[in-house]
Amino acid sequence: MKTTAPSADSRGATLINHWQCGVPVTHGPVLTPFLLLLTGLAGIGLGLAALRFFSPLGPFSAMNDVYAWGIWKTFNVMTLTALGSGPLALGIAAWVFNRQKLHVVMRTALVSGFLFYATGLIALGFDVGRPWNFYSALMPWRWNSESAMLEISICMPLYCAVFLSFEILPLILERIYYTGNERSRAFLSRIGPNIRKAYPFVIIGAYVIPLMHQSSLGGLLLLAGTKINPLWQSPVMPLLYLVAAVFCGLGFTIFLLMIVCLRYARYLDAAVLTELANLLSGVCFVFLAIRIADLIWRQQLRAAFALDKMSLLFLFESAMILAPAIALRFRRVRETPRALLNMSVLACLGGMLYRFIPTSIAYVPLRSTAYFPSTPELIMAAGYIALGSVAFVLAVNYFAVLPGEAGSWDHTFRPFGWPGKASQSSIAGPIPTAVVQERAI
Amino acid sequence: MNVILSRRQAFKAMIGLGGTVTSALLPAAAHAAADSRGNSEEHPAHPIAPPDAVAMLFDSTVCTGCKACMPACNEANGLPTDTLLSGGIWDMPTGLNAKTKNIIELYQDPQSDNFAFVKKQCMHCLDPACVTGCPFGSLVKRDLGAVTWNSSLCIGCRYCEVACPFEVPQFQWENWNPKIVKCEFCYDQRLKEDMQPACTSVCPTGAVIFGKRTDLLAQAKERIAATPEKYFENRVYGEYEAGGTQVLYLSSVSFQKLGLPKLGTTSIGHYATKVTSVLYKWLAGPALVAGVFGFFIRRNWERHETERREHEKKTGFPDQL
Repeated sequence: MKTTAPSADSRGATLINHWQCGVPVTHGPVLTPFLLLLTGLAGIGLGLAALRFFSPLGPFSAMNDVYAWGIWKTFNVMTLTALGSGPLALGIAAWVFNRQKLHVVMRTALVSGFLFYATGLIALGFDVGRPWNFYSALMPWRWNSESAMLEISICMPLYCAVFLSFEILPLILERIYYTGNERSRAFLSRIGPNIRKAYPFVIIGAYVIPLMHQSSLGGLLLLAGTKINPLWQSPVMPLLYLVAAVFCGLGFTIFLLMIVCLRYARYLDAAVLTELANLLSGVCFVFLAIRIADLIWRQQLRAAFALDKMSLLFLFESAMILAPAIALRFRRVRETPRALLNMSVLACLGGMLYRFIPTSIAYVPLRSTAYFPSTPELIMAAGYIALGSVAFVLAVNYFAVLPGEAGSWDHTFRPFGWPGKASQSSIAGPIPTAVVQERAI
Repeated sequence: MNVILSRRQAFKAMIGLGGTVTSALLPAAAHAAADSRGNSEEHPAHPIAPPDAVAMLFDSTVCTGCKACMPACNEANGLPTDTLLSGGIWDMPTGLNAKTKNIIELYQDPQSDNFAFVKKQCMHCLDPACVTGCPFGSLVKRDLGAVTWNSSLCIGCRYCEVACPFEVPQFQWENWNPKIVKCEFCYDQRLKEDMQPACTSVCPTGAVIFGKRTDLLAQAKERIAATPEKYFENRVYGEYEAGGTQVLYLSSVSFQKLGLPKLGTTSIGHYATKVTSVLYKWLAGPALVAGVFGFFIRRNWERHETERREHEKKTGFPDQL
């Protein structure tokens, strides 16, 4: 990794290299042709979703009574929220295990995680057949507390709408400060301390709740029983789904940080990335250890190496997780950006495969019916992902999401209006020069 | 190691530890309390049928495939005819579907002339997986053991279809206000008024009969004892499958050939909830984790805040959270 002379952090606890705080991207056009393409795709997807609301599910999907769950549930929700578990994995590492280096990349993880959850929930909203009955979620006496589906249908929206949103709140409120509007600043200084007071308590929920629903996603499949191939169907599936979510979240955060820093020509921070890579490797090993122990316990090891279709699938999936687990043990690999990127992608794909296979390929019910997503189904699924991507690009451009050097903050940048007032107060305001000087030391 | 705690910190630690211990002990206490009341678990591995449980006994060796039960079922449930395959002429479903709650299927041996009919409908399991999975209790096991669906609670998540090992619940894919279509033992139409379900009431040969589960089980075993060579494996399908069902089958060919799945004797609800029911009892598991996390987060937060305040004092500007 390109290392320039690291600047020592005056706060002492961490040695900060290039990533010191969130810095918005302030140069280059926002609306690139690629972003327009993604916006178009998101528009088509959401348009179809809107049509779907006025139509039964039949014409929009290839789902049938044997494969009652299509890719909206199995891919957009059960698989992609694993990638969106970055806030869970990094948050626990940073706040519970005190890995202070990771605080600086929390914002990237939080925004991507929020978008994965939000788009997944949109997908879910258009997938369920009778969404108008969902108000039962507010009536605890109607809850069937033993249902994993209940846990998910309540915890996921709660997590996204309350806990993740609260964690992202400082990111959005901070923008108000930089508009230079005095009344906004007064408002901010009034509620700022309250947010800080609530923050440590809210983040407890923000880590406990995803632990619950990420494991419940695996718990969902327990009831499918013998319909799922015994290589995947196992009582430890909830635990494995959770661990897969953790390493997918870590892997995806590494991947996202690297490609976005590449796109916006930012320096990478070797210290933070190697820390993440270390954690990723460790969690991958934990996952594989549980997986193998479970297969031995259930005496499925012979089936796992039988080299038939399911066994090859299992071996492929495990190899995808084993490769980064081993490779990232080597310092040379961790510190080579290309290798680190490849390995994090492999880990993500392996984790996604583990979470996708039991819902689809290894899901073999008695009645022989095939399911392959129909075109509108695929377009809608892609549209939700495109929507998340567009939102992420906009967030990176207008908010201090991406980590960077504090000195690179462009204080003349005013994304949200009030140009006249803002330019006056920005001259009058003491921030710009002072921050630059302080960081330059 | 030299740890210095202020009085306040010591109190906090005590409360935290107390909470942790309590939440660890609560599930055990709850378990003991449940035991003393007699109903040990919500989902026992091998549920015992309540004495009033009704059942259907279908004897494949008696069924002639007249399908009298199918229009009777359609009439009792107000179902439309499925005329897709017959070109709009008569009811001709290919399996259980959104218009069919009950169907007679034919098994034909590809080698010999052997054939057998099988009647498919909801099995009304003693511990139904669909009821365990249904998030807002739209599917419930009623008295007499009928498993019924309530439209006003269903969100259309289709978890029941994923959970049911017999693939019974069907979703109306072509309806904007979709319903789950499944045999409900004619609970509202007939069972409540002390009448037997439509299908058993019209069966001319007595291939499917209605009665108390214990009686029918005994009768099935008598039939096997009378002519043991006639019945496959000399057993009743549904006596133990998936913890036991309230529809019992007798057959001369293998049950798998009739399209009935090979299942273990453990209730699926027990398999799926045996760990979570302990972890989530009174939310003790999440509370325990929250207690442990809270302890460490508070500690790390204090350190973080001290550094932040120093930093802000030095620079005069707010720190990023």
